[in-house]
Amino acid sequence: MKFNSITKITAALIVACTLTACGGADDGDDGAQGIAGVNGAPGANGINGVSSFVTRDDVLKTNANIAYAAYSDSLFAAISLRDSINIFVASPTEANFSAAKQSWLASREPYGQTEVYRFRGGPIDTNADGSEGGVEGAVNAWPLGEAVIDYVAGQVDGDDGAATLVGTNVINSTETIDQALLESLFEKNGDADVTTGYHAIEFLLWGQDLNADLSGAGVRDNTPGQRPLTDYALSADCTSGTGNVTTPNTCVRRGQYLQVVADVLIKDLTTVVEAWEPQAGEHYQKFVEGGDVSLGRILEGMGRLSYGELGSERINIALINNSQEDEHSCFSDNTHRDIFLNAKGVQNTFNASYTRINGEIVDGASIHDLLVAEGHHVLANQLRGSLENTMAAATVIDTKAKSGIPFDVLTATDIEQPNVVAVIAGLVAQTDDIELVRDALNVNTGDLRQDGSTDIE
Amino acid sequence: MKFLLNIILVGFCLGNLIACGGGSTTKIVEPVIKPPVPPQPVVDHSGLTPLTGDTILPEEYLTGGAATVFVDNKDAFGSRPRMITDNFKHDGFFTAGDHLFRTKHTDIGPLLNNPVCQNCHISDGRGQLPISPEHPMLSMLFKLGDETGAADPIYGNQLQPFAVQSFDGGDISAGLAVYDGSINGDELVGEAYPYVEYKTITGEYPDGNSFELRAPIYKIRDLSFGPFTEQIRFSPRLAPGVYGAGLLGAIPIKNLLALVDENDADGDGVSGRASMVTDVISGETVLGRFAYKAQNPTVLQQISAAYQGDMGITTSVFTAEPCEKNQESCHFVAEREIKTDASTDVSDKELALVEFYSRVLGVPARRGYDATNNVWHEDISKGRELFFAANCIGCHTPRHITGEAAGSVLGELTLLSLEPNAQPIELLSNQEIFPYTDLLLHDMGGSCSITRETADEQLCSDGAECLYVQRCQGLADDLIQGDASGTEWKTPALWGIGLVQTVNPNSTFLHDGRARTIEEAVLWHEGEALTSKNNFMKLSESERLQLLAFVESL
Repeated sequence: MKFNSITKITAALIVACTLTACGGADDGDDGAQGIAGVNGAPGANGINGVSSFVTRDDVLKTNANIAYAAYSDSLFAAISLRDSINIFVASPTEANFSAAKQSWLASREPYGQTEVYRFRGGPIDTNADGSEGGVEGAVNAWPLGEAVIDYVAGQVDGDDGAATLVGTNVINSTETIDQALLESLFEKNGDADVTTGYHAIEFLLWGQDLNADLSGAGVRDNTPGQRPLTDYALSADCTSGTGNVTTPNTCVRRGQYLQVVADVLIKDLTTVVEAWEPQAGEHYQKFVEGGDVSLGRILEGMGRLSYGELGSERINIALINNSQEDEHSCFSDNTHRDIFLNAKGVQNTFNASYTRINGEIVDGASIHDLLVAEGHHVLANQLRGSLENTMAAATVIDTKAKSGIPFDVLTATDIEQPNVVAVIAGLVAQTDDIELVRDALNVNTGDLRQDGSTDIE
Repeated sequence: MKFLLNIILVGFCLGNLIACGGGSTTKIVEPVIKPPVPPQPVVDHSGLTPLTGDTILPEEYLTGGAATVFVDNKDAFGSRPRMITDNFKHDGFFTAGDHLFRTKHTDIGPLLNNPVCQNCHISDGRGQLPISPEHPMLSMLFKLGDETGAADPIYGNQLQPFAVQSFDGGDISAGLAVYDGSINGDELVGEAYPYVEYKTITGEYPDGNSFELRAPIYKIRDLSFGPFTEQIRFSPRLAPGVYGAGLLGAIPIKNLLALVDENDADGDGVSGRASMVTDVISGETVLGRFAYKAQNPTVLQQISAAYQGDMGITTSVFTAEPCEKNQESCHFVAEREIKTDASTDVSDKELALVEFYSRVLGVPARRGYDATNNVWHEDISKGRELFFAANCIGCHTPRHITGEAAGSVLGELTLLSLEPNAQPIELLSNQEIFPYTDLLLHDMGGSCSITRETADEQLCSDGAECLYVQRCQGLADDLIQGDASGTEWKTPALWGIGLVQTVNPNSTFLHDGRARTIEEAVLWHEGEALTSKNNFMKLSESERLQLLAFVESL
């Protein structure tokens, strides 16, 4: 079953890669008579080594092919994560615990690069009926409603005791833990009740980041969450925080939650992969045929991720609030990767190049090349440069975290922490350039959605 | 494509209307404010051709003008208008404001109603009643005052049922009120525990159909700082929806004052008074527009008051913690509160983000309209006619136009700083909107009494078992707030009302959520609205359903 579905996806991917190869600008085979034969007029000269035949439709196709590859990678990584979780839950050893955490970190690498496909009416945030919504919240919403899921200890700056709003947490209750339960609880009492997705798994693996003094209110340090292995012990050793009723069944239920929530993640990602599948995928088809509307959507995703989601919510709010709860991957202290990978996704989109988790590169007609082909070579270079500046700044955050100063410690040092401010400034500058590109290509999206539909016309 | 054209046409017509308002091509005619009132005004309070019951304008579909959103699911009240998503910076401020709105702040309390904006304004819509008297009120609060409207000397003007320890990640009941539990100076619990019980009352339409209403009885127990003042009055309020606030704030004051008819000069039984309040930032006396008795003039003042009173969060607008002078244990805890900012719990930048978010939240488009063919569902167009004929529009003024919506007095947002001289917000400026409110105070009738009773309704005078019990006739709360008397309420906007229970199936209607349906809400209307209510009741059953279908479509 599992093997089959992977085979199917792989087969489709081969098709996708083939398409990419053909969809590019120059097949090197125009022939001596030019593309229009003997009656054709001479084409424009290429500029600086870039073909002048990159068309807007080419850009759309490459963009869609990369979407399919990046979401497929996210699905593969989620399947690996689920497998690691199954092994760990069956045999809760330190080695298996660590392997499950590694799988989670690995699963974030492709997913972070897909977020540039948000905010553009794509399948990640569109319901089956075309209305806004989609699986994005269930997949990646944060801050998590951790107290709805499991025990929480003390106050970790910003977390509220939402559990008691519904009586008790799920793991400590007697309700059967299955997909239906988790999905019914998702945002049940408002947006704060996030019970599924990457961050639910992250919380169940790492636990709250209480820092060295374990009070949650002490000085931040370079440790992530401190969930003990015994939280999954299949014996009387089972633990569940302090002062909570604990039976061996508590740990069994925690393991069940972990497994079920991984299945929900796979299910949700599968719907997105299917929608982006070349030929059969509903969104893929509409998107590549969408012309300037689709081109506008690409730039909308780039701009809104750069400024709103990443610069404003994920970085600036964490900085001005100085609150771990406002940090994207607060349990695992993996926020530096979220920042790096989100920014990378924007750069990938501009350059039309994505490196898959197996090392293969999917590339093709880029917005950069399109700008050059349409005579905006200065602007093409300008946005290339501003994206590069952001990546350089994000690399500093990434490097600091890997050498012992995670993002939560960095933001705690100073409200004007220069490394963090540099990333924000980079994102602001690149957003300005994305706006210029949108104007230069004349794809301002205007009243596109005034008919209430998120579908591409 | 076809629709796009339509929008342009609508825009064109609107432009025409404004230019032609009052029949002058050179300037917009000022609405007539002073008596004597001309018998047949050719323009309404906005300077536009008055609306009539039988002609629906195509633009009525776009409830919030440019700030209309086309979402009719549970996100209907929490969505961003297209003009916001198109501007990456505005989009980013919205996202950040949304984040602050739905997450818990640090430095909450010491006394509070709830630590998260969104927990009361559920999905940016209305709150909901507790499921039983045993469950504390989480999205409803009690305003307090004496017979003159002055704050209670110990409890202030609002009851906060929780102390901060309720929201420390543990047990929510940890900070609930305990009788006399806060009077020894260093231990603090919630101020008191309010709850509601309902008595069913029945009535009959003239056509013989019967109905049932829930009459609330409010009870308060476990006063932790000792008894209330002798003449205590209290007024329960369910959290209202947030969306559209920026548009309401941008209606020119003179247009609203033109609707004032304090002595009912036109003899329709409906008066309408302005609630004049102090803008705490400018110090000027201006028109109150927000909250159930129109106590606050601006979105900024409204959210700052909520931060302080409901959440225990200080801002540059209201710098004091929610501790009254004599609440020693509250001050004791407040002094130990960790401050994330040097001066106030929330910085101006965060406050400006939440202000921006609250101002630009979109208003859902009307349902029941076929935009392609410009046709309304028949029940809705018929219902609209009945709504006009019953003079519901005497208070629920359908249409307004906004003036220039000034930028935040806190400054212009950027990601890294607040800059001076904020630009006006184009999205909210010069829009034709359909909120169905005049934002004025109206006497809705009724009266209340407060008694001291035990749980089994025996009269008592003091002690832990002796409750404060409020019973009211009609909609009155008996609480004076500013210009508003104990029977007056601000007309609430009706836009989005048909989606209230789509956004939150547990939500209910009127200021205290007593009405389970829109029909029940209509039937509670009395005082100035009595004639309109009677007009509604006299309709045939199918006509009543049409009128309600129209309200549902708003």
